[in-house]
Amino acid sequence: MIPVRCFTCGKTISTAFEEFKQRRAAGEDPKKILDDLGLSRYCCRRMLLTHNEIIDELNPYQ
Amino acid sequence: MEIQFSSLDDTLARFTLGGVRPSFANALRRAMISEVPTLAIDDVRIYDNTSALFDEMLAHRLGLIPIKTDLATYSRKETCACGGAGCPSCSVTYTLSVEGPKTVMSGDLIPQDPEAIPVHDNIPIVKLTKGQKLVLEARAVLNTGKEHAKWQPTVICGYKNYPVIAISDVCDACGMCVEECPREILASKGKKVAVIEEKLPECSMCRLCERACVATGIGDEPAIKISAEPGRFIFVVEGDGSFPVKEIMQWAIQYIKGQSDELEKQVREISGDEKK
Repeated sequence: MIPVRCFTCGKTISTAFEEFKQRRAAGEDPKKILDDLGLSRYCCRRMLLTHNEIIDELNPYQ
Repeated sequence: MEIQFSSLDDTLARFTLGGVRPSFANALRRAMISEVPTLAIDDVRIYDNTSALFDEMLAHRLGLIPIKTDLATYSRKETCACGGAGCPSCSVTYTLSVEGPKTVMSGDLIPQDPEAIPVHDNIPIVKLTKGQKLVLEARAVLNTGKEHAKWQPTVICGYKNYPVIAISDVCDACGMCVEECPREILASKGKKVAVIEEKLPECSMCRLCERACVATGIGDEPAIKISAEPGRFIFVVEGDGSFPVKEIMQWAIQYIKGQSDELEKQVREISGDEKK
């Protein structure tokens, strides 16, 4: 799962992840999406850019 | 002391604080970060968790959710009339009961007090597949950022010196400093380089312009000089949404006032002076 807040500054970034994921899948430029979502600092931007969602891979093994 | 806002809304404030010592500016910063109490989930009782995340992980995620806080309604656990046992005036209880397939969101938390809701209702907590279940009870209490960062009302909270850029008559408007400045606050105007006034607060005082000036062979002393205005600071305060930034500032100032009054009282007691 995406971390609730940015590790560095503490801004709540998890709310933006769903929209980011969808728009990136649609082929939009990540830079533009992040700017639209109001994530101006690079600490918050890397949270979304570098996140790898693995919960779907874990779920079958419960 | 004077405060001049350049922007102010509920989550972000930019202002210049003038006529104070650096120690006061720092005291204000520290008070805003770690002395203004907010609500955050601190105690979680998990009845059923068959999700992919461990109980501890869930509790940690719940703790980080910012909660709208009304400081007039709630008091700190230590000072509460219930003596720290936990009552409706010092804690808020949330219940959550979700069955998959569904992503559990912060909006699924049902608060006991409808005012103390999570700031965002779309924070994902855990994704459940078919058959997975999550039933829990959480309790939020008031505390300060001193104890844990989840109780911090601020996200970004810092200050820097107000920059002063002096350009002497030696300047020949070669434009090297204009090119070098990463914040683009300089411009060539006629026979001299000038500062773009409205961009001046963006100066980070990196002094690349001074170095560029010396590198042109103008002499040992650069024509452009960067210095800090004593006693004037540019603040940036961003809140996490628990309450408006203005309130964070008011509470922080109140805290500093309370502390200095207390110090005065103690000093008087030691020295044996009667209070005037």
